[in-house]
Amino acid sequence: MIWFLVGAAIVCAGIVLFVVSRRRAPDGVTSFQRQIDALSPEARRSVVDRVQKLDEGTPEGGDLDGP
Amino acid sequence: MARDLAIDLGTANTLVYMKGRGIVLNEPSVIALNRQTGAVLATAHAAWQMIGRTPGYIVAGRPLRGGAITDFEITERMIRLLLQRVGVSRFTRPKVVICVPSAITEVERRAVTDAARRAGAADANLIEQPMAAAIGADLPIDEPVGNMVIDIGGGTSETAVISLGGIVALEAVRIGSFDIDAAIQNYVRREHGIAIGERTAEEIKKEIGSADPIGDDRQAEVRGRDLMTGLPKTVILTPEEIRFAIEDVVSSIVASVIRCLAKAPPELSQDFLTRGMYLVGGGSLLRGVRERIERETRVPVRQSTAALEAVVLGAGHVIEHYEALKGMFMGARR
Repeated sequence: MIWFLVGAAIVCAGIVLFVVSRRRAPDGVTSFQRQIDALSPEARRSVVDRVQKLDEGTPEGGDLDGP
Repeated sequence: MARDLAIDLGTANTLVYMKGRGIVLNEPSVIALNRQTGAVLATAHAAWQMIGRTPGYIVAGRPLRGGAITDFEITERMIRLLLQRVGVSRFTRPKVVICVPSAITEVERRAVTDAARRAGAADANLIEQPMAAAIGADLPIDEPVGNMVIDIGGGTSETAVISLGGIVALEAVRIGSFDIDAAIQNYVRREHGIAIGERTAEEIKKEIGSADPIGDDRQAEVRGRDLMTGLPKTVILTPEEIRFAIEDVVSSIVASVIRCLAKAPPELSQDFLTRGMYLVGGGSLLRGVRERIERETRVPVRQSTAALEAVVLGAGHVIEHYEALKGMFMGARR
């Protein structure tokens, strides 16, 4: 029984090692596309909505000293 | 589990954006300390009220000048207090994205990230203010078109051309709203022989300051200390005088915009004529700035609807899409 468990553990470890070694870091095209997608108007919708809410709620004038 | 944060650590104001919540804090970057014990006595609005009005044992001031840390220890304490106020504790350490001027040096960059880590951040990354401003101002920076942002802050003014999620051309000067205040102080001292504080100078700027003639004939009554007699004295200032007083500062800002335009590739340059340039930052609220830049560059200039919040909203977007946008952090591309 113990030899069966050891064997199963070795097989599992082998599979994990194989998967990890096959797993590649995202290439340049993929990560650039992800970045551009994340900057698209759709992705920024929540920020835009907050800007509009601020715009509606902001009184005239404001602080002249910028951050 | 702490929510990740975006911080616009500005010379004048500090804004904090919490992931999933929006802007949770917006206050002056001022701290008041007991000079003898080093204890923090007040921060933000309470400390701002104290500037120029403190007894000898209290020092109230801004730990950042020109967008850079002038006092590392005080900045760290200010960031720690900020994090505490938005719910960060010893056991909940958030990832933090901090907006900084693009002109800061490697040493200054390290000072900011170290201060944030020591103050309780699990990880601290920096993003250039004009890039964050462009995201927050909702410019189409994901497209291959020229987007130009002019960010006039308290200590720095930055102009950037952005296309396809990256900075194409950049021009930054360590001149901002505080230099306008200082120019007003110097003018009043030189021409009227009275000393005024920085808060009074800021009020004059808000009241009658302008970068271009705007047909406003309001005058400001200013009280200060006569340099000859030492007695309180009142003088009347006109908008023309203030325009003259701040001319050098305004010219320097406009000149940096022109230099940035000159750096832009021709393919992107033509986009500005149709799309215009976008003004953000508190300094952009000075009357006549938009008209002045437009007049000198002959390029349309538009004021962002969220001039004061654009930078932190942009950084907030980055924190919302941290994994996809971590390539935009300063240092990640170099």
